[in-house]
Amino acid sequence: MAIDCLVLGAGQEVGKSCMVVSINGKRIMFDCGMHMGYTDSRRYPDFSLISKTGDFDNALTCVIVTHFHLDHIGALPYFTEVCGYKGPIYMTYPTKALAPLMLEDYRKNMDRRGEDEQFTSDHIAECMKKVIPVDLKQTVQVDKDLQIRAYYAGHVIGAAMFYAKVGDAAMVYTGDYNMTPDRHLGAAQIDRLQLDLLITESTYATTIRDSRYGREREFLKAVHNCVAAGGKVLIPTFALGRAQELCILLEDYWERMNLKVPIYFSAGLTIQANMYYKMLINWTSQKIKETYATHNAFDFKNVRNFDRSLINAPGPCVLFATPGMIVGGFSLEVFMQWAPSENNLVTLPGYCVAGTIGHKLMSGKPTKIDLDKDTQINVRCQIHQLSFSPHTDAKGIMDLVKFLSPKHAILVHGEKPKMATLKERIQSELGIQCYCPANNETVTIPSTHYVKADASGTFIRSCLNPNFKFSTHSSTDKSYLDSNKSKAVSRLSVSDDRATEGILVVEKGKKAKVIHQDEILHMLGEKKHEIQFAYCIPMPMARTEDLSSTSHMLCGFDKSTLISRLSMILSDELSEGNILDLGEELQVESFRVSVCSSDNCPHRLSSSLQNGSESVFFCCNWSVADEKLAWKIISIMKNSTL
Amino acid sequence: MGMVAELERRQSAMELHIINSIQQSLDNNQPLSFQALASLRSLIINPATPDSTLSSVLDALSRSLQLNRDPVFLHHALKLLSDLASHRPHLSPFALDLLRSDSLFSSASPRLVGESLSVLLSLASIGNDIDAARFVSLCLGPSVSVRQCLLRNAEKLVFRESVLLAVFLGFTRDPYPYVRKEALDGLVKLCKNGDFDDRDVIEGCYCRAVELLRDAENYVRSAAVRAVCEWGRLLVICSEDMNKQDSSDAVFIQLGCMVRDMSVDVRLEAFEALGKIGLVSEDILLQTLSKKVLGINKDKAFKPVEGLDISASAVAGAYIHGLEDEFSEVRMSACYSLRTLTVFSLRFACEALNLMMDMLNDDSTVVRLQALDTIHHMATSNHLKVEKIHIHRFLSALVDSSSVIRSMTRKILKLAKLPQFKLFKLCIDGLLGNLEIYPQDEADVFSALFHIGRNHGKFTVHIIEEVSPEMEPASGGKLSFDSTRVAAFLVLAISAPLSHEKDVSAIPPRIFSYAVTWLGRISYGLSDLMNQEKLLAYLSECSRSSTISLADFKINEALLTVESDAPIPLCSKVDSPVSMPFWKDSGGTSDYHHQEFLSLGKSAAHAEYELGEHSELRKYVNLIFKKVKDFWSLVELGCTTEAFKGIRACKEEVASFTADSPGSSGAVAFTLQYLQVIGMLAKVWGHLRPTKMLNPYGVGKLELLFAKLDRRLREISNRFIGLSKGEELQILDLVLVACLLRLSKMEICCCNAAMKLLLSTVAHVEYLHKEGSIELSNFVTEVKKSLHDADSSSSSSTCKPLLFKKLLDSFSLQQFVLYGTPRYIHAELAVPSNDSENPLPFIPGIPASIPLAITLHNVLTESRLWVRISMSEESTQFVFLDLNLIRNEKRSINVVREFTFVAPFYRTPKAISFTVRASLGLECFRENIDRVKVFGGPKCELTYLCPEKEIFLCKSTEC
Repeated sequence: MAIDCLVLGAGQEVGKSCMVVSINGKRIMFDCGMHMGYTDSRRYPDFSLISKTGDFDNALTCVIVTHFHLDHIGALPYFTEVCGYKGPIYMTYPTKALAPLMLEDYRKNMDRRGEDEQFTSDHIAECMKKVIPVDLKQTVQVDKDLQIRAYYAGHVIGAAMFYAKVGDAAMVYTGDYNMTPDRHLGAAQIDRLQLDLLITESTYATTIRDSRYGREREFLKAVHNCVAAGGKVLIPTFALGRAQELCILLEDYWERMNLKVPIYFSAGLTIQANMYYKMLINWTSQKIKETYATHNAFDFKNVRNFDRSLINAPGPCVLFATPGMIVGGFSLEVFMQWAPSENNLVTLPGYCVAGTIGHKLMSGKPTKIDLDKDTQINVRCQIHQLSFSPHTDAKGIMDLVKFLSPKHAILVHGEKPKMATLKERIQSELGIQCYCPANNETVTIPSTHYVKADASGTFIRSCLNPNFKFSTHSSTDKSYLDSNKSKAVSRLSVSDDRATEGILVVEKGKKAKVIHQDEILHMLGEKKHEIQFAYCIPMPMARTEDLSSTSHMLCGFDKSTLISRLSMILSDELSEGNILDLGEELQVESFRVSVCSSDNCPHRLSSSLQNGSESVFFCCNWSVADEKLAWKIISIMKNSTL
Repeated sequence: MGMVAELERRQSAMELHIINSIQQSLDNNQPLSFQALASLRSLIINPATPDSTLSSVLDALSRSLQLNRDPVFLHHALKLLSDLASHRPHLSPFALDLLRSDSLFSSASPRLVGESLSVLLSLASIGNDIDAARFVSLCLGPSVSVRQCLLRNAEKLVFRESVLLAVFLGFTRDPYPYVRKEALDGLVKLCKNGDFDDRDVIEGCYCRAVELLRDAENYVRSAAVRAVCEWGRLLVICSEDMNKQDSSDAVFIQLGCMVRDMSVDVRLEAFEALGKIGLVSEDILLQTLSKKVLGINKDKAFKPVEGLDISASAVAGAYIHGLEDEFSEVRMSACYSLRTLTVFSLRFACEALNLMMDMLNDDSTVVRLQALDTIHHMATSNHLKVEKIHIHRFLSALVDSSSVIRSMTRKILKLAKLPQFKLFKLCIDGLLGNLEIYPQDEADVFSALFHIGRNHGKFTVHIIEEVSPEMEPASGGKLSFDSTRVAAFLVLAISAPLSHEKDVSAIPPRIFSYAVTWLGRISYGLSDLMNQEKLLAYLSECSRSSTISLADFKINEALLTVESDAPIPLCSKVDSPVSMPFWKDSGGTSDYHHQEFLSLGKSAAHAEYELGEHSELRKYVNLIFKKVKDFWSLVELGCTTEAFKGIRACKEEVASFTADSPGSSGAVAFTLQYLQVIGMLAKVWGHLRPTKMLNPYGVGKLELLFAKLDRRLREISNRFIGLSKGEELQILDLVLVACLLRLSKMEICCCNAAMKLLLSTVAHVEYLHKEGSIELSNFVTEVKKSLHDADSSSSSSTCKPLLFKKLLDSFSLQQFVLYGTPRYIHAELAVPSNDSENPLPFIPGIPASIPLAITLHNVLTESRLWVRISMSEESTQFVFLDLNLIRNEKRSINVVREFTFVAPFYRTPKAISFTVRASLGLECFRENIDRVKVFGGPKCELTYLCPEKEIFLCKSTEC
């Protein structure tokens, strides 16, 4: 079995995330985004690659959307309403709630710019009807074989990573995520799963970010200094996410520093979004969840609604205004009024699209901005650039990959050269096979397949009881070998042999079965064979004996005396093993030795026959396991006299 | 009344009925029905049931146990027995006997055995019911719950360590995660209590714990983190000296890998564990503060154990992650563990300070407070370097809405030493801002201003010059401008003359007169330093002349150098850094205090005054004791030199104390003495304890060390009065350790004497224990137990170095807490106008008289004092000083006696001149002199109260 991943978007680029994964016969589309940078056909993923005939309902098992950003959901109404996909769509509750706002906002902007409408309000509404919402860590059985589960991803409210499992093959698609918490969202959180594949974003594949505290401090300092000097602060943001984060930050600071300067939200989307946030407490950070019972963090105490008449009201204030990047609308209106005063401050997000006023302000410090032919804005206000990002950095990606330790990893949603660097790191540091495919490429990786096997009663019983063994695991340190002083490094280690006592038997036409090792002979109807070695060696008698006595030596010394003499010799020379004197026989582990009285013992080597009268023959036998020991004993016997 | 009797009658009738029916069914060899069992239970749990009835219940149960072996029945019977045993303690022996009977405890069903075992355990009466073999066989049985229960309680069943080790280590392989967890917990306990020096075993356990750090279950990983920490520390101890640093680093990194775990509990454990690894090299520490791998650590790899290679980069940014964790518990734990690590490296402390300053912006108050506490800790260990970029962030905490945060910030400011005037000005502005927004903080702000002004004399003068127009009365002769602000500047101004810096007398005297008008409010703020009268005296003195000499002004004495004060105890226990803080001072002992002063015949008012004054000092001293405890853990790790350095630094700190204010000298002297004892103990310990290293000192040198140690111990236990029983017990602990150390070394052991001392000390401990109902330390209990065992086992058990060595393992230094004000017994001895030029006259062969001018401090009348006069080692004589006979010439409040005593010196030699050495000794009652008694001399060992004084004598020319 294999997992095929077809990259329809966000392959070696940022934008229009879309990935179709075939896993054990099921086909899941993860995300259905649009590219904001294009207005032509490149804006949407090439859905024709999924099905030439356009029969998407049979080609796909389900669509999963991770969060409400347009590059992850933007193409969804188009796909469902225009292309005609009617199958199930899964997303989290907040995503389902907030996505229509985002889509509608986008549609209106398109309208305003006079582009062709790709979908209508009705399309959005219809599309949303097909969505099945899921909760965090809720396991959803999509069909008989496919299970999906959402995990918290940080990033924006409602963002989730999705785990999908078909049969024995399992994978995780992260979407966008953040491994560090911010003021309103927690860090990504996932269980330690057994995964064949992890598909992760890699927006910051090489960046390692500092602590967010520094960035927060800079921001607060700039704002505080401005309002303390009586200035006005304009914070142009998008309605969702950043606005709430910054507002919580300011609110907390206001509270602590006992500031009374008003904070305003421009009417419209932001207020509506705040209402949603208030309801979606369960998806926010720990702190907000904890204090929610006493005070809902989105119930901003110091925040008031803004009114156009307040633009030129005297006194300091802070204003959140949409849209971000000052692309137009209300934020532009306010900016035009406030920019000429050097007391005022404008904070800009870390990233502004080229062509917007935000971008112009960030590149250099212009004193004049030409809005159109007739309007020119004098810019004397202070500019502060925010560098918050809801994406994880390179270390976060590495940490997640390390924690999950999947068998394979695929990087998407990033820039090609940086992804290559990260890929190298994952392969070399973590030893995980990693890919970063381009758009419209397919990556195939093998998947796990488990074989079900019966187990015999004996094996199960033996598994119930612990059966651990201690061993002194020893390895010889190579570096000492040269100096002839081989130093053995030994360490106590413990192993549990329950499973290794089992033997997997696969008979033709039958189900595989695990049996206990003791059962194997019975099952095969075979006998147990053991290899035994035997050797009959002569041992010279000591010469101190009177010659006359040698003649009746064999009769004179009974066998047990000889054995006990041998035992004494062995116990002097042999350092290991436990020597047992059994009267007529000596036993060291499986090695047995006894006096051989038969003259033509089959184990006797004829060449070793010496003056028979002076030697006693000992018959030895041992099993293969103790071979080393046996030869040690034999060499002792050869080199000593009785 | 009648109704109660009626009820009782009815009840007893019912009891009778139940018992009878049960007896009946038993007589018919019928097993008890469940209904019967239920009614039995009602009898058992009813507190009104008389004992006689219960005895028959027991009887019935025991009979039915013989009849019925049905497991379900046995299960219920077991429950009944356990209820009975727990409800009626006096019947529990019978119930327990039944429990132990064949049918339950020894039954073949592991479930029943497990249940009865847990009942026995819950009643804490497991004795010799279970031996090692049975324990192991039960563990190896198929029932998982029994296994888990046994493992959890294994240490209560007291077996040999080897058995426990094998079982615990084995079960870390169990497929059931809860069993693995219990096994790991068991290993941790074993490691803490046990005595392991077999490196193979330690490595084995460590490696197994490291393997389990990757377990799929959160709780197993948490347990594994603990195990790695404990066994890792053991691994460090047993490493050779040259590898110690490396293994310690490796263990630290291994734990550092866990701070990115997805489970909060694991992260918490990880930070807690990181703080416990003491000795970490600076490079590694710095790496924890940077997510980027530092150049120096790029290719650094460690190999603490064969096959466990770990690279330094694994720990990158550990603290960055911890401090921005989503959970405030984790952030707090990270702050706390940073605190312990900043002691080791100044560079690390500086970098960590950056982060701590950021933490002041945290949204959780407890985290902010913990961050401030960490900063305070840095300040007290001299690792605080405040820079300009920090100061803004830091001062913003002064306007925090939480009063605890503000007060903690001011506490740190009191300690601050600022290098630039600019920073100083910012601080003053910050404090003024604080005062403006939160007028309720006035008292403490004044106190902070006073301290900070005193620490920066020149800057203060400078700033007062700047603002002096503001402070001048406006027309009409009233201080009207901004009253509180002016008051604040006045407080700042009046602190200047007390500055330690030179030439800071430029404060115009009239300022001090202005301050007098604010006397009430200012003195309220400075109540921790001086009372109102003193302040008034001081102010009027200063206002009189512009150049005052403080030498003749006693204020400096009263103003203890408040260089430091104890940090608010944020965490009640060291082991759990995340427990919620309690803002209660560790005081609450004032009653005791009071008594002590009264018994010394002082006026209550005076005592009260001193009390306020000394609490500051006591806090400081207790902080030192806390540090000492930290140093001791270094000693245990085998880093004696490092510990020694620290102790020496503490000594210097304490010595720099102006100790001449009344009453404080005792505490200071005590602290010094304590430090010296610990120092000596560390020295001896360092030479005796690690068996891996050859003793660099010979026996002779060691003997000298011991003698020194003994002398120090004798001094600390005899030269201070006014110690509480608890404090005394702690000192006795040290005496015991010294004894054991001596006994554990055969070569130097003078067995009988040491044993005698040991026994008498233990007896004294017992006496104190009975008297004061104070909890004994674990160590003392151990010692008592083993002495008792040794006593009962054989009489010739006096010298068992191994036993004593083992006992020493259970010793861990407890933090000494000084509650009271100990009084220091000391004396001054002088011979007026005697030196080598002006010798005393004598006639050879005839006793010479030596007039001694003696001043005794805090010596109680009932103590036995001896004057020791010696010419050489052989000719030493003792003269008894009967305090009752001495007329107290000048009885002062300080219990100081001054008098002249003429001591005879009998054996004057036939020489023209000679010198003798005289000193004063106090007899210590607990230590009998071992050597042949000197006739007429003291019966017990002496503690000398003053240095020896050399006295010159010359043959008289007059005769």
